[in-house]
Order: sequence, then C-alpha cells, then structure tokens
Amino acid sequence: MITITINGKVCKCNEGEYILKVAQDNGIDIPNLCNDDSVAVYGACGLCQIEVLDDGHGKALPKLMRACATKAQDGYVVSYDTERVNRSRKVALELLMSDHDGDCVAPCHLNCPAGTDIQKYLKQISGGDYHGAVETIKEAFPIPASIGRVCPHPCEKNCRRANVEQPLSIAFLKAYAADKDLADGTYKPKCKADSGKKVAIVGGGPAGLTAAFFLRRSGHSVTVYDAMSKMGGMLRYGIPAYRLPKDILERECQEIKSLGVEFVNNCKIGKDVTLEQLQNDNDAVIVANGAWKSMNMRVEGEELEGVVGGIDFLRNISSGEGERPDLSGLTVAVCGGGNTAMDACRSAVRCGADKVYVVYRRTRDEMPAEDIEIEEAIEEGVDFKFLTNPAQIIGEGGKVKQMKLQVMQLGEPDASGRRSPVPVEGKFEYIDVDKVIMAIGQSIEASGFDALEKTRKGTIAADETTFMTSVDGVFAVGDATNRGASIAIEAIGEANKCAAVVDSYLAGNLTAYRKPFVSKRDVKDIDFSVYDKKDRIKMPARPAEERKRDFNEVYLGIGDEEKVQSEAKRCLECGCHDYGDCRLIKYANICEIDPARFAGVKNNNPVERKLVSIERNPNKCILCSLCVRVCDEVAGKGILGLVGRGFGTVIKPEFNDESVISACAQCGKCVEACPTGALKLLK
Amino acid sequence: MSDTIINVGQGSCGIAAGAGKVKKVLDEKLAGSGINVGIVGCIGMCWLEPIVDVYENGKLHRLVKVNENSAEEIAAAVSSGDFAALSKYEITADDKDFLDQQTRIALRNCGVIDPESIEAYINAGGYKALEKVVTTMTQQQVIDEIKTSGLAGRGGAGFPTWFKWNAANQSAGETKYLICNADEGDPGAFMDRAVIESDPHTLIEGMLIAAYAIGASEAVVYVRAEYPLAIVRLKKAIAQAKQAGYIGKNIFGTNFSCEFTIKAGAGAFVCGEETALIASLEGERGMPRLKPPFPAQKGYWQKPSNINNVETFANIAWIINNGGAAFAAMGTENSKGTKVFALTGKIKRGGLVEIPMGKTLRDVIFGIGGGIKEDKQFKAVQMGGPSGGCIPEQLLDTVIDYKELSATGAIMGSGGMVVMDETTCMVGMAKFFLDFTAKESCGKCVHCRIGTKRMQEILTRIVEGGGKEGDIELLEELCSAVKEGALCGLGQTAPNPVLTTIKYFRNEYEAHINDKKCPAHECRELISYSIDSDKCRGCTLCAKKCPAKAISGEVKAPHAIDPEVCIKCGQCATVCRFGAVKVD
Amino acid sequence: MSNTADLSLLQPVLDEYAGVKGSLITILQSAQEIYGYLPQEVIYHVAQATGSSPAHVLGVATFYTQFRFKPVGKYLILLCKGTACHVNGSDMIAKTIYETLGITDGETTEDGLFSLTFVACLGCCSLSPVMLINDDTYGSLTPEKVKSIISEIQAKEAAV
Repeated sequence: MITITINGKVCKCNEGEYILKVAQDNGIDIPNLCNDDSVAVYGACGLCQIEVLDDGHGKALPKLMRACATKAQDGYVVSYDTERVNRSRKVALELLMSDHDGDCVAPCHLNCPAGTDIQKYLKQISGGDYHGAVETIKEAFPIPASIGRVCPHPCEKNCRRANVEQPLSIAFLKAYAADKDLADGTYKPKCKADSGKKVAIVGGGPAGLTAAFFLRRSGHSVTVYDAMSKMGGMLRYGIPAYRLPKDILERECQEIKSLGVEFVNNCKIGKDVTLEQLQNDNDAVIVANGAWKSMNMRVEGEELEGVVGGIDFLRNISSGEGERPDLSGLTVAVCGGGNTAMDACRSAVRCGADKVYVVYRRTRDEMPAEDIEIEEAIEEGVDFKFLTNPAQIIGEGGKVKQMKLQVMQLGEPDASGRRSPVPVEGKFEYIDVDKVIMAIGQSIEASGFDALEKTRKGTIAADETTFMTSVDGVFAVGDATNRGASIAIEAIGEANKCAAVVDSYLAGNLTAYRKPFVSKRDVKDIDFSVYDKKDRIKMPARPAEERKRDFNEVYLGIGDEEKVQSEAKRCLECGCHDYGDCRLIKYANICEIDPARFAGVKNNNPVERKLVSIERNPNKCILCSLCVRVCDEVAGKGILGLVGRGFGTVIKPEFNDESVISACAQCGKCVEACPTGALKLLK
Repeated sequence: MSDTIINVGQGSCGIAAGAGKVKKVLDEKLAGSGINVGIVGCIGMCWLEPIVDVYENGKLHRLVKVNENSAEEIAAAVSSGDFAALSKYEITADDKDFLDQQTRIALRNCGVIDPESIEAYINAGGYKALEKVVTTMTQQQVIDEIKTSGLAGRGGAGFPTWFKWNAANQSAGETKYLICNADEGDPGAFMDRAVIESDPHTLIEGMLIAAYAIGASEAVVYVRAEYPLAIVRLKKAIAQAKQAGYIGKNIFGTNFSCEFTIKAGAGAFVCGEETALIASLEGERGMPRLKPPFPAQKGYWQKPSNINNVETFANIAWIINNGGAAFAAMGTENSKGTKVFALTGKIKRGGLVEIPMGKTLRDVIFGIGGGIKEDKQFKAVQMGGPSGGCIPEQLLDTVIDYKELSATGAIMGSGGMVVMDETTCMVGMAKFFLDFTAKESCGKCVHCRIGTKRMQEILTRIVEGGGKEGDIELLEELCSAVKEGALCGLGQTAPNPVLTTIKYFRNEYEAHINDKKCPAHECRELISYSIDSDKCRGCTLCAKKCPAKAISGEVKAPHAIDPEVCIKCGQCATVCRFGAVKVD
Repeated sequence: MSNTADLSLLQPVLDEYAGVKGSLITILQSAQEIYGYLPQEVIYHVAQATGSSPAHVLGVATFYTQFRFKPVGKYLILLCKGTACHVNGSDMIAKTIYETLGITDGETTEDGLFSLTFVACLGCCSLSPVMLINDDTYGSLTPEKVKSIISEIQAKEAAV
C-alpha cells in the first residue's frame, strides 16, 4: 500500500492505481465524463485534470495530468481544483457546451418564475396520474388549483407548440389536475423531522404561503401572521371570485395549515406585534406583506368623494366578506390598463353599474392586462377609452361629476419597447362619471417595517440572491420588495428560492440562490413541420350576459378526462430526459461556466432510432465514445463507430440497417454508459 | 566524349517545373552520341529548376531554368563539344553562393548521386557505416557514439536520439520495432521528401544501424501518401538493398537480421504524433493515446518500438563514418550538428538549406536565401509549422538552437521556414494555421476538437471585420487552456501560431478589430480599392482587366472604381502602370 | 444493399493480406485504386473479409482524407493549401477554380469531369502555389494560368 493526498484527504491505495479510481474509492468526485471502469482508459474529456503539487520527492510536476490515466505514486500530493486546473476544466466544459444542442429543461419550465417542472406534470396528466402531477407541482409551489386559474401563465408564452399551431393550455391543465387531487385522495407532502427552529412569516399571500409550505416541509416550525381575517392575500382580497372561487383558495390554505403551519390572522405588524418581537421569538423572519396601497394619479380632484383606489375597491368585493357595493344607476370610470383595472371594471359591471369606462392612455395592443381579460370585459359591455389620460376630476358638491381626459397619441417606442403616449396639444374630452377607480399601480404599506432599509421606490430592499434585508435574519420577498408589485407566480418563485436560502441560514450555512446554467436550443434550429397539427383545447365560459350578473366562476371547466389527456399529449417534451442525471450539466454548474463566449457553429445531425429501442441524439453527444467502447469492449458487438474526424466527428451505427438490427442485442449498455442525454432507452 | 556526364535533377519539384520534359529532349537529341543522360535527386535550389548538371571532364557546368528549347541547344552544344555555348545557362555566382554557404551532411548525396542506383550510393561510400556497426561495434557502442554526437530528433521535439534508442534497447522483449516517421506533414516542409527521393539508401542505412542498436529485426517506414515519387524510389531502394544483402537475414554474415516494410499514410497530419502513427500502422484511426506508456515500452503491437524521423536517420551513417565528435564539433552548446530547412515563401532563393546549428536566422534568410522577393520589407519567418510560431524582424539574430528558438515562442520544428513580407497579414497567418489544425484535429479530446474550431472561428471573424473588443484576450485564454488540456502534441502546440502572432503583432490584431483595417492589405473584407485621379491617365487597362466590371471612365480621363461592385481581386493594382490604384 | 461494385476485383488484395494484421488501411488504399472510391458494399465486404465490424472499417476509412466515398471526376485536382502556397496566394487559386468550375473542396462538377480536393502540402513549396491534376504538377499558378489549364482540358475532352 502507498499513500497519496487528494485535496488534503489522505488516501491509501495500491501502487499503480489510477488516481481517478483512488479518488472515487475515497468518495472524492473528480469531474470526468469519458471514464468507466468497464473499459480501457481513454483520456478524451480532459475534465479530470489534476495538478501534482508534490511528486513524493518535494517536486511539483510541470504539466497538468489526467487523473484517469495517471498512476498513483507514493507521497503524491494532488489537487483537482487549483486555479490552473479550474481554468482549464471550465474552458473544456464551455467548449463542450458550445457544441451542445439540446434543451436541459423545456422552455415553458424555464419561463415559469417558480421553476415548475411542467413537462413532467403534463406527462403525468396525459397518463391520468393527477396526484403525481400535483406532487410534481408542489415541488415548486403549494396552491396549484388557485394559481392554475389566475396565473397569466408565462409558461404558455414560451411553449414551443406555438410553432406548430398553438401553445398548450398549461395553466388550465394544472387547475384540472389540482381540482381532481383536491376532490379525492389529496396529495400530502411529507415534512422532515422537527429542526427545533422557528420561522415567522409576515403575510399570508401566495409568497408567504409558499415560504411557509417549504420551510415547514424542511422541518421548521412556521407561523404566518396576516393583517386580514383570512389567508390568501391578494388572491383572496384582490382577485374577484368569478376568477378564483374562494372555497378553492381556502381548501389550499387549509392543506398548508394541515402540515402544521400556524396561521395568525387579524394581526398587523407595528400594531398587534412588532417586527422586533418576531425577530426575538424566531430564528428567522420572512416579510411577504405585499403591496396593498393604490397609487395616486396626481391629478386635480383626486380627493373628491367617489374616487377610490383599485385595490381598496376590490378588497370587499373579491373576498365576498361584508357588503358588496351597489353601483346600479352609476357610471364608473376605471383608470389603468393592467389586470387590476380589468378586475375592477368587470367587478363594477357585476355590482350593477350602468356604464363602465376604462380610461387608458395607450391602445389595446400596449395594455399590460391579459388579452383574454380585455376580451371578456368587452363582452361584458365595458367601454374602453383608449388614448386618453385623466387630466382632471371635476366635482360638484365635493363629489365626482365629470372627468376631463387629455387625448393622447403614440410616440416613439420607449426603453421597454412600448410606444409611449404623448398628449395631443390642447385636445380634451369630457365624460360624466359618478365614480373613479384608480388602478394604475400599487405601492407598499411600510409602517411597522421602519427598521428595514427601503429602495428609492419605497419598497423593502432585499438581496437578489439571498433575499436578506438590511437586518440579519430578516428576509423579504414578493410585491413588498425591490421592483414592487408583479404577478403571483413571481412572488411565489421568490418565496420558494427564499425558503431554500432560509433553510440554509437556519443550518448555519447561508447559501445564496444561484440560477442554474442550462443548455438551450435555438428555436431556429428546430423543424416543426414533422408534427401533425392539433388544435389547443378551448376553455368554455358562461355567456357574458349571464356571468356579468354574478360573481360565480366564469369558466365551466376545461372538459372531460379524455380531452384533458389528449391536450397534455400535445406536449413536445422539449426538455431532456436525462437532466437529473446528466453529468455534463452537473459539472457545468459546479464550474460556473459561460459558454456563450465561445459560441460558434454547432454540429447538427439527425436524431435516429436505428438501434430500435434506443434513440440517439448526436447533438447532445460529447464524443466521449463510451457507447462505442462499451458496445465493443463490454458487449462485444462493435456496432457503433466514430465516423469522420475533428470537429465533425460523429458516432454512428454501421450503415446497413438490417445488420444493425440483427446484431444489436438491445442490451442498453450504451445508454447506461452515456454521461449525457444523447442516448435514450425507449419504453 | 565518354568523359562527359549529364545529370538532370529529378525531384518532385524539378519534375513539376518540367525536368521530365527536359530529360526527354536530352535523351532524344543525345541518343546514339554515347553520352548518357542520368538523373539525380534534388539539389535543393528550387527556384532554379529544372537544373541540368553537365560534367566536362569532371568540370561542372550547372545549367539552370532549363526548358525544352534550351535543352535542345544544350544537347547540340554538348554533342559538338562546344561547352562555352553553355555559359548563358550557367548558374550565376550569386546563386551558387546558396550552396557554398551550406554544410551538407543529411543532404550530402542529394542532387549529387542517382537516387535509383545502389551502386551510386555505394560509390559515394554507402553502407560502409552499416558494415562497421554490425561487424565491429556492440549495440551499446553504437548508442554511445550517437550520444557523443549530441544528435537530437529532427522531427520537431528535439529529444536526444541516443536516449530513445537506449530506452528501446533496455526494454525487455524479444520483438522490437524500428519505425521511421516519414509522415512529413508540416505544410511548408519538404526536407524528408527530398531525402527519400534523392538519397533513399541513406535513410535505409541509418535505419538499419538504429535497428541494430535497439535490437529490432523489423523496420517500418510510414510515409505520406502524398509523396508518390518518394514511395517509388524507396521501394526500389529497399529491393536493391535486399538484393545486395543489406536487408534480410544475417547482414554482413552476422546474426543481425532486419526486414523492411513501407506503409503509406492515408492523409492525416496527426499521424506524425508517435502514438497516432502507431495506431495508423496498426490499421486503426490515427488517434493519439495517453503517454505513458511510451512507445519505447509499449509501441507498435504493444512491443518496444523506436520512432525517428527521416532527417535524423539521414545523419546516422555520416556520424558512424566520421565519429560522433565530428558531428558534435558543429553547433551550439545545446544543439549539435547541422539542420536542414525548407526555405520558402517570399524569399529570393528558396530551397533546401543545411547549415550548422548556431547560425542566425538572418544568416539563412538574407545570407543564403538572398533576402526578400522584390526587395520588399521582411516581416516574419514562420518556423515549426502549425506547432510553431512567427518570429519578427527584431529577433532575426536569434541563433538556430532548440532552446533559443523555443524562447521566441516558435520552435525548431521539422525545418519549415516560411518567410513573410509586408504583404502578409499576420492575423490571416494565424487563421491559416488554425484552419489547418482544426481540419487535422483527430477529434478525440475536447480541448483540441472544439478549442481549435473556436479559435479558427474567432480568427475568421477578426479577418472578416467582425472582431469584437475582448477577442484578443478570449483567444489568449482559449490558447492557454488548449495548451494545458489537449491530449497530444498537435493540440498542445496548436495555439503557438496564435500566441506568437499576438505577442509580436498585436497591433495588427488591434487594427483589424478596432479600426477594421488590415495593415498588410490582405484581408479582403477590410480593404478598399480606389483610383487616384491625379495619377490615372485614363489608359482603360484596369477597366478592361476588371473581372467584375467595377471600373468605369472615359478614355484619357481618370477612372473610378464602384466599391459596391468591386470584388477586391487586386487585378487593377497589378496592371496599372502609373501606380494610380490605391489600397486602404 | 445493391451490389454495384464487382467485389471479385478485390479478392487478390484480400488474399494477399489475409491474416496480415494491421493491413486495413493498405487494403482500403488498394480498394480505392480499383474502384476509384470506396463504395459502401466494398467497405462492408472488407469488414466481412477481415473479420472486423463494418462500423470499425468505416471509422478508419472516414478518418483519413485520402479515402473518398463518392466517385470522383475524371480529373482530380489536388490543390495545395500548404504554408508557402498560402503565402503566395493559394486562396486566390481556390477562388478561381470555384469561379471557373463551381466546385470547392470535396466537390465534383456536374459533368463528372473535375473533382477538387484541398491537400495539406504537396511538398513543392518552391513552386507555390501548386496543384496536381491526376499525375501532373502545375506550379507558380496565377488565376489566368489556372483558367487556361482548365480550358485546355475541357477543350481536349470536348474534342473526344
């Protein structure tokens, strides 16, 4: 036996053993992609480079060595992560990635702020496994029945199926699965053993609930404090019931509670309890109190009776708690073009208003609200005054009587690419109104959080990667922080990342969130003509005349199981089957690579199934040749071979299809050996 | 009349220049005159080909740039004994100087003896060394003699020859192989081709001596398929040597036996790398493998093997005949003996140059080579091919020595010496070599397979005007990673042409990237042609010659080039007699 | 698989190298001399005769630039892309060939008359730029010279 030292760890081994093997035997993962014990040493990938700092005689070796092919000698002191090694390894991985044409995860998944594994749950739905689908979703967030109804679904915007005909109806499929799950045999996630750590969460909205859910699952004891009487935050008090029935939201809140999360309602920070108290009583605090203040328009007449903020207007209406206002006989103007404006105008219709205007300074094309919301509002009789901007609210006896609107036109595109509105000099319009609802934006109610540093916008400043505020142990996420209000799934995404950070913080090892590197295909490189067209499923809605009279859900349910599964089957399965096991992406992330700097020509060869039950995608191949070598040296077949040389080298089975089929024993050893997702065993 | 001898130089390039036709004319015209027209190999004065040597009673008339017409006159003059009439074809004193400044050991018989005749070789003292070795010396004595000579591998790496022989000799095993690497792949190098074509027996004799020293009974020559004439002459020579008993069983009646085979390569530069060469010899893809084990331990068919290149072997017989000390007397502290270079490019007198180590680059380029063609400005000399680098003017006094040349960032290499003038773009030069290595990369290891491709792409965008700020640094980083990470010598040295050009000609890179200009006016995307109306006389010649019809103008009035139509071929500048065409 | 090549022509070569290990490249070189290129059925036949897998034989053949997998034109132009040729303008020669014949590296004209292959270095650096058409070397090329060489061949062929 001899002794060598690998990264400070003393390892006993036999003379002449390869250093990579010694490392593996000692639980040290020296990155490597082309090595396998069953075949001869090859040395192609170059990832297993090491620096021999001492050759046992006090001298360092001048060259970097490959651990797979360097034999251990007594007294060797080696390191696999010196700066020099890391540099070389990083470049190797960047080069590999620069010629790697595959999607690690599907584009829908990438565009979901919460990082939901959409491809996986769609597959589960297509097979009727709804509980499984919910289990998958709940790895990202806890309230799929609610979110499936209200989410503006950025996922669908990125759905590649749009290049065939239309994107999948991802959000509604999610709601369908979640409803099924709630109806019967609801999935109950397991929680880890109690950690003994306590976390207080301020705010029981989507972000707070999500953080509570994950931290509870990690074994911490969690209490959610909320100023309102029930949990749900804006989902309950902002979004009207015709979009999200409150019993569904309540069910999902109760599921979270059932894990052992404590809910404390009607508790306002700074009034009922102070932030300091929460800090003292807990090991960590997460502030997720949202943005509940309507922004002012800064026009003359705002103080008149009959002018209300959108959020304030919606609060009672949406929750169904207390009285809904009776607007019959009144004319209402809603100012703004976002989803809150749509919620407000449609709610106003439902409260019996005679006439409802939406005043918006750009045109419909520039409206930030979801198109379907605008469409449905128009169906319900809302009158859109595009290219107008409130100039003055004119009152009579202290009450709103009329609005003076500045007529606008579109100018040059601004930084966001939207054409910015400019006033048409001297041109005004007047509308008679009884009520003005300002839905132009939200800001935060910061009282009670004086100790936390704020941004220039007045939101709580939180670190983008640790979510920590200026106060140690106090974290903040969601609408209350940084850029301010956004959609629920954004807040949820921050909350699930924050939960992981807080978990690490509680373990005494604060680990910032790092966006993982993933390989992405360029949509230009994909041939969509190979897919048969199949229309997207339609969500049936109640007729406008009927639905505008009540707050019952607009939608009737996406359809029967057969239709749902067939919709799920439209999924192109863009993401790689091997993402979880892929060693290439694992090391790419460990080494923090940036392959874009070496972007260049990529090899492009057809995906083929000559080996019958094995699909081969050469565009994910890294030419480690393990499949070739295993087929030859282990299986004794030699069916696969390297063709060509240099950059264009490609691995192919021999050209005679019949003899391939007869020779291949379908043993799958090649698939097993493949370190990436280039080979796939077809079921 | 029988005292008159005529030899026509018949190397590949001589033949390409028309030596075959010249010989045919001489043969026809001198038929029946009793004067035999013989052939010799390549003397190495390529710019003077075809060359005819006429010996008038031992006095040499070296006639140059002979063509079919002059060959008739030569035949007439020789058959009538009017040797004075030859004077107008004779080599000038200046050109003769090219040879006079050289010291020829490896090339000693090249262009002097008939390469297709073993007798010619024997008459020149051939196979004496072999006889001496096998009949009077032990293996160790041979190795010691080579050690004394200080001979280092002439293929590029410059590893001591004796050391490799000794390692192979010391390796246990009955069967050992002696291999000659004649896969001369460096573009711009043709020394080995010249030796095989001009003096194949020198190679055979050197190999036999090496085979004896290491204890090999089989010798293999791995020669490029692109050298058909070399293969033909070598085959012929092997047959002759076998016939004469120098190859085969019990050579010179001793226990030493050795068989020879030739294997033709099939077009892969990487096969110049020892382990790849072995894979190719075994009929496999020529992909290098990791060392150790070295070929001296496990080589061809897993047996101890020794590989040297052609020029190395070409020195062996001379060393045995003259003693290692005589060889070591030439050269520098680190580098002994002579070295052959293939001097090409923008040089007045290009060809084969053999000089003692220790001369300067200036000696070779300006002394022997006569300086730059058309007296343009010297810019750089490329040494070591795709593994080497470009040496700038300020380093022209660097002496030819393994260590000194490596210090410049270039390498001694196998002997390619390509001279560049002011019209050669150095970024383009780096791209040229990366085009080459990227094409020749075997594709096994990541650093080389993708790294050379990316370097080539970055260089391509720079010469095409798409260079970005940071590209130089990106190239440097990539180069250093490829140097560290590539599996074999090809990949590890592939960055050298890029690194040396960045080191010495960074300003040219910057001009391409920042100013979108090519200072050498070579990169087409970055230059523009225009006509100086003050100088243009309106002769219309340029307009007539322009293949793109981009030039217009009235007769006797200044012409103009339409930049939209111009394809930047440069024809106009070439034909203009008034220097009116400007390039920017 | 359709057998278009007469495999019996290869038999003497296979016999000569039967049992001689490491002869694959030599056999393939002989095969290419016989057929002008390496048709699939020949590769397959060589694999069977030498007891190796077709994937292996194809792997070896495609590694080396000498081997061709499509028939070549009657005139094979080998254009040298060596350093000396580069410095003396081989790019321009490649461009001229492309303009004249419409082919670049690895391509054959539609009439099957010319094929073009770039080679690393022909070792005739002093005559650079150089090309080889079948067995004839042409040196010190200029665009005009190339055009006239090609048109001479075309004229000769047209006359046949």
